[in-house]
Amino acid sequence: MSTIFGGRGFHRLSLLLIVIAAACGEPQKPDKPVASGGSAGVEGHPLVKYAHGFRIDHRAGYREVSILNRAAGRSDTLRYLLVDQGQTPPADRPGIPVIHTPVRTMVVLASSHIGLAEFAGAADRIAGLGNFQYVSSPVVREGIRTGKIKQVGIDGSTNNELVIAMHPGVMITSTNPDAAFGQYKTISDAGIPVVPDAEWLETTPLGRAEWVKLIGALIDREEEVGKKFDSVERAYLSLAAIGRGAKTKPSVIIAMPWKGTWYTPAGESYMAQFLRDAGASYSWSDTKGIGSLALNVEAVIPVALKAGYWLNVGYVDSRKDIQAKDPRFAGFRAFQTDSIYNFNKRVNDIGSNDYWESGLVNPQRILADLIRILHPGVLPPDSLYYYKQLK
Amino acid sequence: MSIAQNRTADQAPSGLWRWAGLFLLLIGALLLDLSAGAVRIPLREVFHILFTSSAGDETWRFIVERIRVPKACTAVLAGCGLSIGGLQMQTLFRNPLAEPGVLGITAGASLGVAAVMLAGGSMATLYAIKELGGGGSWMVTGAACLGAAGVMLFVLMLSRRVRDNVTMLIIGLMISSITIAVTSVWQYFSNPEEVKEYLIWTFGSLGGVSGGQLLIFTITIVAGLVIAFLSSKMLDALLLGENYARSMGLTVERARLVIICSTSLLVGSITAFCGPIGFLGIAVPHLARGTFNTANHRILIPACCVIGSILLLLCDSIAQWPGSQTVLPINIVTSLVGAPMVIFLLLRTRKLKPF
Amino acid sequence: MNSTPLLVTRGLQTGYRSGGKKLLVSAQLPELTVKAGRLICLLGPNGSGKSTLLRTLAGLQPALSGAVEIAGKAGLSSTELARQISLVLTDRVGGSNLNVWSLVALGRYPWSGWLGVLSDADRDIIRRGIDAADIGDLLDRKVHTLSDGESQKVMLARALAQDTPILMLDEPTAHLDLPSRIRLMRLLHRLAREMNKGILLSTHELDLALQVADEVWLLQSAGPLHKGAPEDLVLEGVFEAAFEKEDVHFDRATGVFRIYPEGGRRIRLIVTATARGAMAEFWTRRALQREGFAVVEEEAGDAIVIGEQGGRPIWVLDAGGAGRQYNSIAALLQALDHLRLP
Repeated sequence: MSTIFGGRGFHRLSLLLIVIAAACGEPQKPDKPVASGGSAGVEGHPLVKYAHGFRIDHRAGYREVSILNRAAGRSDTLRYLLVDQGQTPPADRPGIPVIHTPVRTMVVLASSHIGLAEFAGAADRIAGLGNFQYVSSPVVREGIRTGKIKQVGIDGSTNNELVIAMHPGVMITSTNPDAAFGQYKTISDAGIPVVPDAEWLETTPLGRAEWVKLIGALIDREEEVGKKFDSVERAYLSLAAIGRGAKTKPSVIIAMPWKGTWYTPAGESYMAQFLRDAGASYSWSDTKGIGSLALNVEAVIPVALKAGYWLNVGYVDSRKDIQAKDPRFAGFRAFQTDSIYNFNKRVNDIGSNDYWESGLVNPQRILADLIRILHPGVLPPDSLYYYKQLK
Repeated sequence: MSIAQNRTADQAPSGLWRWAGLFLLLIGALLLDLSAGAVRIPLREVFHILFTSSAGDETWRFIVERIRVPKACTAVLAGCGLSIGGLQMQTLFRNPLAEPGVLGITAGASLGVAAVMLAGGSMATLYAIKELGGGGSWMVTGAACLGAAGVMLFVLMLSRRVRDNVTMLIIGLMISSITIAVTSVWQYFSNPEEVKEYLIWTFGSLGGVSGGQLLIFTITIVAGLVIAFLSSKMLDALLLGENYARSMGLTVERARLVIICSTSLLVGSITAFCGPIGFLGIAVPHLARGTFNTANHRILIPACCVIGSILLLLCDSIAQWPGSQTVLPINIVTSLVGAPMVIFLLLRTRKLKPF
Repeated sequence: MNSTPLLVTRGLQTGYRSGGKKLLVSAQLPELTVKAGRLICLLGPNGSGKSTLLRTLAGLQPALSGAVEIAGKAGLSSTELARQISLVLTDRVGGSNLNVWSLVALGRYPWSGWLGVLSDADRDIIRRGIDAADIGDLLDRKVHTLSDGESQKVMLARALAQDTPILMLDEPTAHLDLPSRIRLMRLLHRLAREMNKGILLSTHELDLALQVADEVWLLQSAGPLHKGAPEDLVLEGVFEAAFEKEDVHFDRATGVFRIYPEGGRRIRLIVTATARGAMAEFWTRRALQREGFAVVEEEAGDAIVIGEQGGRPIWVLDAGGAGRQYNSIAALLQALDHLRLP
């Protein structure tokens, strides 16, 4: 005790307090909240192993879905009761929105939702889509072509009347921490359950993909979806074992700088997890945060000059494009050794990238791509699925 | 009679000391800017890298030569351009609060950039160009130039029909309002990433100009500066107002044309390459007038160049201050530095009475 | 002195063009000439087109028709015009951080080199302008700190530095106090003579103009322009006629404008030989007119006799038979006022 309050110890303590206070004063990134140490609250039912953002509880005669909604720094849990069609909701749970399953039609706002639905075999139940520009699924595109699927607008500009007129079984939205959930009040007041998909807040690729189980519960196919997910999990884990066990871990840089700032995934993000599982050496793997770090370009340059591989470079398609963006990129070792890879191999004719759609629910394919890139020869030869080398 | 006889030059001999002092400040600001950054490089090393080509630390050489030096050059060029643009606008409109974008040029450039970043997403062809990687950052720069040029032509057309400068000021304000409105509409219909990308563009950045872009930037700025300097006499005459200027033989319409062209060239290219950067254009001309205590544009133009460069280099150094975490956007720094300066000037001297 | 005129107008019509429409301000103007060494005053009530005419002659705005010939040529370029005519206008030029010397130096604009560099000859001319306008002690002051009178002199110095044969001034006495006005008019007259310039100025100062102008151009709101020596215009009754239309009476005898109309009550004014009569009579007459009296020569009920006592004037009021003496006009007027009461 005397060492804390006496002399130098006291100075050290106060210094520590000042540093902590300064660190706590760091501005929150507006797009993704910083995770407060350890995932708060929702421990998964054994059914949900990796995802921290939702859980499904089986109760007498119904299922209860809890979604952790982290909006504007606070957390609260959204609950939904899943009740079979024709059954009456339980009397002892008043006030909680009820969803009658199986859901026959649904409105989704983002292409990631399409990916989840397609995995669960529910792509044909989509009646409304937020933005027609971001679609890769052939089923959905056909639905758009025949006019079966209507465009309802994204986030703030959703066409409430259109959605209400469709009367879908559920509407799936993307959560935006800044937007109050109340923007969907009109729709939920009209009796349409609004379910946020917070898969992008997960810190692991499997956790993100596991949100398919939510869709599975909505369409009453929990078991099939569960089995399908299990095989994805097995494939992923065995690949991860290979990746983590690789002898050399090449260094990697991600993304491109923009206007003096280099946004690169933080250590607790799913991308960092991918890199760890793929056996890469990522300089910011130990940083905090589940989103991106906004770094001064100069801080990244020393790493970039020497990194063996350059991934996820954004809206470029060739080395020439990269050089056109900024001639200084030609000084990077990855540029000089032709080791630049981008995940835009599956971009369709309307400009939508399937990486964000089916890639969400096939993390094992992404991991396989990464291992093939970083450790050639370790896996049986095959072409890359989502990634391509930039020439 | 003796006082008039003693007036041999507009500059008193003490003016030479002032120039010397300013140049020293400029060198100091340059060195400060070259040594400021996320990576600590000692000043001695910086000198070594600048003046010798022997192999030192490769990373450091890359950083100094290819990141810091182009950035410092950009700062000097942009500092000159913005200050002279502001000076010309203040003289033309005889308004001490006029700033370079008052004709709507900055707004036009922003509109061009917004068209590419925000509305471009909904235009399939534009998106396809982006996906194919056509042009990269040249597309943004080109769009900004087109926007600025478009507004410039519109303003030139109007200046022929409009006799009165106040009308032109108002037209410039209206153009700015329209572009802001259109940009807002596009933002409303864009996804968050695009909006954020555009927002970051509006914060300004000196770091994106290098290689071929820097060459073109240098050419446009130097051209604008030369035109401005050659029209020093014209600008002096305009200080007395259009009637007196006309009576002294100045063709006011032609003078207006030249000034608009020079300012558009300077402001348009700066906005295109660096984004909108504010406050320097208003503050620096007043600083120059105060330092040299003259209204003679032959002195003010070089003075504005030097003072503007010093200020922007200083602002850039401050922007690097947070260290390896984000660099502060340059627009924020110039506002934080410039606004108090303008207030200080207003309070301390009464020199900002209406012209 | 009177050789070829510096400026001649031929068939000039002034006005404004807006859109496709013409607004005529001054129609049939006679041939106007400006000669070296002479001071011309442009007079006329508000709205008569003085400013328009001046600006047209100066080349600041185009004429509707006709021509202005300067040094024998019409259609001069801006620069040539700038070397012939310099202006002093009512525009404010404060606040641009100019000091007085720099502002005067700007007058060399049409003559100085391409970047505005001044030669020694330029500096001499600037010095002469400063001396002529007597602003030698103002040189380091900032323009926006000058008083109206000082500012006017500085603008005049600038025009003189421009060293042109013709100098035009638009309402130069507008914001000046009376002593400054007199000094300025005196200065202009002297400059015309000494520097052999042709000076044209527009003004409202009728009294000063009548004293100082070599020639007067009198504009009317509706009617032709009269020009001539000021005394001629007065004697011809032109002044009276021009201002009568404005419901303002010009008194030819005294050369002033009568503020008060002719009064109803008649009174006779007699001056004795001993009194220093003329001045006292003049001022007494004015006071009586203010009180609403008409002063007449012939017999009229009441009379006032001005006499002298102890070197000072006295007034004897002979009204209704009684004669009382007063030592001041104020006392006299007070008495007259009492008389009015029935």
